[in-house]
Amino acid sequence: MTEIDMLTMAYPPLIVFAAALLVLVLPRVLGFALGALSLASVVAVALFAPEGAHLTGTFLGFAEIQPFYIDDFTRMMGVALGFLGTFAVIYAYSSEASKTMAAFALAYVASAIGAAFAGDWLVLVFMWEIMALTSTLLVWHYGGDAVRAGYRYALAHGIGGSLMLFAVIAHYAQVGTFAYGEGVDYADAVLAGGIADGLPLLLAVLGIGVNVAFVGFHTWLPDTYPRPHFAASVFLAAFTTKTSAYVLLRAVPEGNIYLAYMGGLMAVYGVVFALLQHDMRALLSYHIQAQLGYMVAGIGIGTTIGAAGAMGHLFNNVLYKSLLFMAVGVVIYRTRENDLYKLGGLWREMPLTAIAFFIGALSITAVPGFSGFISKGMVLDAASGYFGGPEHQALYWLLFLGAIGTFLSFIKLGYYVFFHGESDREVRDAKPGQTTAMFAVGGACVVLGLPAIGWPVFTDLLPLVDGAQFAGTDGLETLNPYSMGHLQDSAILIAISAVGFKIIRKPLSKLDYSDPALIVNPAMYHLGRGTMRVTTWTYATVDAAVVNVVTSCYWIGNNPVLAVDAAARRLPMVDVKEHRAADGGHPSTIHLRTGIGTTVLLLTILLTVVLWLLIN
Amino acid sequence: MSNLAELLPALLIAAPILLATVPIVLGLRFDRTGWSVAAITTTALFAATAYLAAAVYETGRVVHVLGGWGEPQGIGIELVADEFSVLIALLVTVTAAAVLAYTRTGGPRGNTFYTGYLLLVGGLLGLSMTGDVFNMFVFLEIVGLATYAMIASGDGPESAVAALKYLILGTLGASMYLIGVGFLFMATGALNMDVLGEAIPQIADNGGSDLTLLRAAFAFIFVGFALKVAQWPLHSWQPDAYQHAPDGVTPVIAALVSTVSAYALGRIMYNVFGPEFLTATPYLTEIVVTVGAVSVLAGSTLAVIQRDVKRMFAYSSVSQFGLIVVAYGLVTQTAFVGAVIHLIGHGVIKAGLFIGAGVVAVGYGARTVDEYAGLASNRPFAAGSIALLLIALIGIPPSAGFIGKWYIAVGAVEAELWPIAIVIFLSTMLTLAYSARLLEKMYFTPATGVDSPHPAGVATDGGRAGAVSIGMLGILIVTAIVAIGLGFAGGAFFEWLEPFTSEVFN
Repeated sequence: MTEIDMLTMAYPPLIVFAAALLVLVLPRVLGFALGALSLASVVAVALFAPEGAHLTGTFLGFAEIQPFYIDDFTRMMGVALGFLGTFAVIYAYSSEASKTMAAFALAYVASAIGAAFAGDWLVLVFMWEIMALTSTLLVWHYGGDAVRAGYRYALAHGIGGSLMLFAVIAHYAQVGTFAYGEGVDYADAVLAGGIADGLPLLLAVLGIGVNVAFVGFHTWLPDTYPRPHFAASVFLAAFTTKTSAYVLLRAVPEGNIYLAYMGGLMAVYGVVFALLQHDMRALLSYHIQAQLGYMVAGIGIGTTIGAAGAMGHLFNNVLYKSLLFMAVGVVIYRTRENDLYKLGGLWREMPLTAIAFFIGALSITAVPGFSGFISKGMVLDAASGYFGGPEHQALYWLLFLGAIGTFLSFIKLGYYVFFHGESDREVRDAKPGQTTAMFAVGGACVVLGLPAIGWPVFTDLLPLVDGAQFAGTDGLETLNPYSMGHLQDSAILIAISAVGFKIIRKPLSKLDYSDPALIVNPAMYHLGRGTMRVTTWTYATVDAAVVNVVTSCYWIGNNPVLAVDAAARRLPMVDVKEHRAADGGHPSTIHLRTGIGTTVLLLTILLTVVLWLLIN
Repeated sequence: MSNLAELLPALLIAAPILLATVPIVLGLRFDRTGWSVAAITTTALFAATAYLAAAVYETGRVVHVLGGWGEPQGIGIELVADEFSVLIALLVTVTAAAVLAYTRTGGPRGNTFYTGYLLLVGGLLGLSMTGDVFNMFVFLEIVGLATYAMIASGDGPESAVAALKYLILGTLGASMYLIGVGFLFMATGALNMDVLGEAIPQIADNGGSDLTLLRAAFAFIFVGFALKVAQWPLHSWQPDAYQHAPDGVTPVIAALVSTVSAYALGRIMYNVFGPEFLTATPYLTEIVVTVGAVSVLAGSTLAVIQRDVKRMFAYSSVSQFGLIVVAYGLVTQTAFVGAVIHLIGHGVIKAGLFIGAGVVAVGYGARTVDEYAGLASNRPFAAGSIALLLIALIGIPPSAGFIGKWYIAVGAVEAELWPIAIVIFLSTMLTLAYSARLLEKMYFTPATGVDSPHPAGVATDGGRAGAVSIGMLGILIVTAIVAIGLGFAGGAFFEWLEPFTSEVFN
C-alpha cells in the first residue's frame, strides 16, 4: 500500500472528532495544538487523496454508501474548511476559549467536514443533523442570552433538517439510490446527479434554504451568531452556511431562475439590514446572508461560470468572513463593547487588527487585488451573460445593488470602529495567536487575489474550471478578471459608494440610535405584534387541547380498567358490573377474556375466510 | 470432524429426551438431582450446537438421514442443520442453559419439573432441525405436551385452567397443521421438505386440482401456526399461559415456544412452498400481512391496557410475533432477514423481561404496574436491567429490537407497502406507551408506604421467601447487556444468513 492509498483510509471527520475528544482530556496547549493539527491534516488529505469514493460500505442495510468521496468539489471544500478551521482553533486558543468549547467547536467542524466529504445523500443527511446538533451545543455552551437564541436556532435547524431528511427519503423512493450523480440525469446540469425532480427537489430546496438563509428563513442567522463567545462566532460563520451552499449546488445542479432571483433578493435584503445594524457581529451576520445571496444566484443561474463563481465565492467567503469575525472578535475582546457607535479611533490603539479588518473588508467588497473581486466578478458575469448564456439584467442590478450596499456597510463599520475621532480608551492590540490567525487567513485573501501569484492556485482549486479556461455555452472561454471592463465596474462601484456614504452617514447614524424596526417600518412592528398575539392565542388554544388529550391518554394509560368501563357504559346494550377489588384499590384485571369455545369459533371463521380467499 | 458433525443433529434431539428420564430415576434415591442433570445437559447441548454451527459455517448445511431410509420416495426422515436452523438451535440451547441460573433458587423445583424441561428442550431442538413436515408435527406435539405440563406446575387453580386452555387450543392448532400436511402429501406424495420444495413449483405450473390441494394445505397450515404463534384473535391461550405459568417457566416458553413455532412457519413458507408460490397465489401474501398487521395493532393495544406486568409482556409478544408474520408476508430478502433477527432479538428480550418480572415478584413482591413504583431506588440493578430491556423492546438503537424492526421496515419500503411501514411506526409508538408506563412507575413514582397486597414470592415448593440469588440477578443483567449488544450485530446476521437467503430467493 503506497502513501497515497493510505490517505484513503484517513477519514477526515473521524480525525477531527478524535481531536475533539482529546481536547477534553489533554492539557490546554496540547489539546488545541492537536485540534489545529488535525484540521491541517484535513487540508493535506483533501489535496492529496486520490479521486473516487473511499471507505464505501453498508450502513443500516443500504449498500452504496460513500462517506469519503473525493472529487474537485469535495477537494475544494476540504481545503477551505480545513485551512480556516486550523487558524480558527489557534485564534480560539489565544482568545481564552475553554476546553469544552473547543471540543464542541471541533465536533461541529468534524460534522461539517463530514457533510462536505459525503458522497451520497444518506451520509449527508446524517452529518447534516449532527451539524445542527453540535452547532446548537456550541451556542448553548456560552449560556446567558445565547441559550434562548440557541433554542430558536435549534428549532429552525430541526425544521430544516427534517425537510432535508424527507427530501432524501423521497429521493430514494423515486430513484432507488442515495449516491450522488446516480439515478437522476438533468440535461443542462453543470455536474451529474442532483435531487430527483418534483417533491424531493422542493423539500430539499426548502430544507437547504433554512441553512443558507433564504429571505424569510434567515431569522436564526442574525439572531444567533452575535450571541455566543466571539471565537465561537468565527466557527459558526464559516461552516454551516457555506457547507449548505455547496450542498445546494449538489442538489440543484441545473439551476433554477427563481433560485437565482432569491439569491439576488438575499444580497439586497442582507446588505440593507446590515446597514441598519449597530451590533458589529449582527452586521457581519446579515452580510453572511448577502454573500450567500451571490452563491445562491450563481447556482441558480445554472451556467458553468455561475456555478464556478458560486464555488469560488464560497471558498473566498469562508476565508474573509471568518477573518472579519476574528478582527471584530479582537475588538470585542479588548473593549468589551459590541456597539460600533460606542467605539472609534481604534486605528491608533490596535493597528494590526485594523489592517486585518481592512484586508477582510477589501476582499468582501471586491476591490481589485483581493480575492472577493474575482469570484464576485464571475457571478456578476454569469448574471450579465458576459460569456454568452442567458442575460438576467434585473438579477445583475440586484447583485450590483448588493455590492454597493456591501461597500457602504463596510465603510460604515470600518469608519466608526477604527476612525471617527479619538479613541476614549486605551487598549492593547491583538494577542500573538490572534494576530497569527488573522494574518494567515488575511494573507490567503491577498495572495489569492493577486493576478500572477494567487490566481493560478485559485483556478486550480476551483471545480468546473480548467486552468483559466472553462466550457462556456459557445465553446471554451478564458477567465480574465483583470479586464478593462471589470476594473471599470469596480471603479464605478467604489465611486458611488464613497459618495453614497457621505450622503447617508448622518441620516443613518440618527436612524440607528433608536430601534431601527420602529422607524424604518412601524407597520412591520404592529404586524409582528398582531401576528405574535394571534400566534400566542392559537398556541395557547392548541396547547390546552394537546395537554387535555395527553392528560386523558395518561389517565387512560394509568386507569385502563376504568377507561374501558367508562367507554363500555356509553355503548347501548352493554351491562357493566361494578367490580371493585377487595382492598378498595383499582380493579385488578379487565374481564375481556375469550373462552376456549369462542376461540375455536374464531379459528373456524378465520380458516373459512382464508380457505375461501385462497381457493376461489 | 465431519462424521461427528453429521451425527450431532440426531444426538442433539435424542440426548435431552433420553436424559429426561434420568431425574426421575435418580429421584428414587436422591431428592434434588434434577437441576444438576438439566444444567449439565443443556450446557453440553450448547457446546454441541456451537460445534455444529462452526461446521455449518465451514462446510454449509449438514444433513443427517435417520435409519438410512430411502431418499427417492421423499418420505425419509432427515434432520437438517443449516444457517437458519442452527441459529434457532443456538437460541434454544443458550436460553435453556441460561434460565437454569434463575430456576436454581427461583423455582419451580422437583425432579419431575426438570424432566419436563429437558423434554421441552429436546422437542424444540427437533422442531428446529427436522427436515420433513410430518416430524415437524411430532415435535410440535412433544413441545406442546412438555409446555402444558410445565404451565400446570404453577401453584393455584388458575395455572391448571391456563394449561387446559392451552392444551385444547394447542392441540387444535397442531391438528390444523396435520390436516394441511395431509393435503400436501395428497398433492405431492412427499413429506421431505427439499423434495416438496422442488415438487411444488411444478404443480403450481401445471395447475389443476393438485394446485387447489396445495392452496388448501397452505390455508390449514397457516391457520394452525397462527394459533401456535398466538396471532390475534387466536392468541387467547397465550396471555393466560404466560401469566399463570411459574415465574421460572415463563421465560423459557415466552422466549422459545412461540419463537420456534414462528421459525417453523417461516421454514414451511420459504423452504416448502417457496417465494414463487407465495407471490403467485392470489390473496396469499395479503392474508399473511393482514393477519400479522392486525396482531401488531391489537396486541400492542391490549398490552397498553393491562395492569399485570407478566400479562402486559404476554400481549406484547402477540404484537411482536405479528411483526414477524408481517415480515414473512412481505416476501423480500431484507424483510426475511429482519424476521429472523427479530425472532432471535425478541426471544432474548422477552426471556430477560420475564426473568426480570420473576426477580421483582420474588424480591420486591410486585406483580402489577402500580406496584412497580419506586423500584429503581429499592432495586437499582433489577430496575436498570428491565429498563434496558424495555428500551430494546421499543427498538431504540442500538438494541436487538431496533435492527429487527429496521430490516422489516426496509423490507416493507422495498415491497412498497406503505401501510405496513405505518403499522410498524404505530407499533413502536404503542410499545413506547406501555413501556413508558412501566419506566415511569419504576423511576419517577415513589414507592407507596402500604404493604403490597401480594405476599412476597413463595417458591412453588416452599423455598426461602424473598430471596433473590446472585444467579437470578446476574442472568437478568447479562440478558439486558446481550439485548443491547445484539444491536451491533445486524450486519453479522445478514452475512450469516446470506447462503440460506440467496438460495431461497435465488
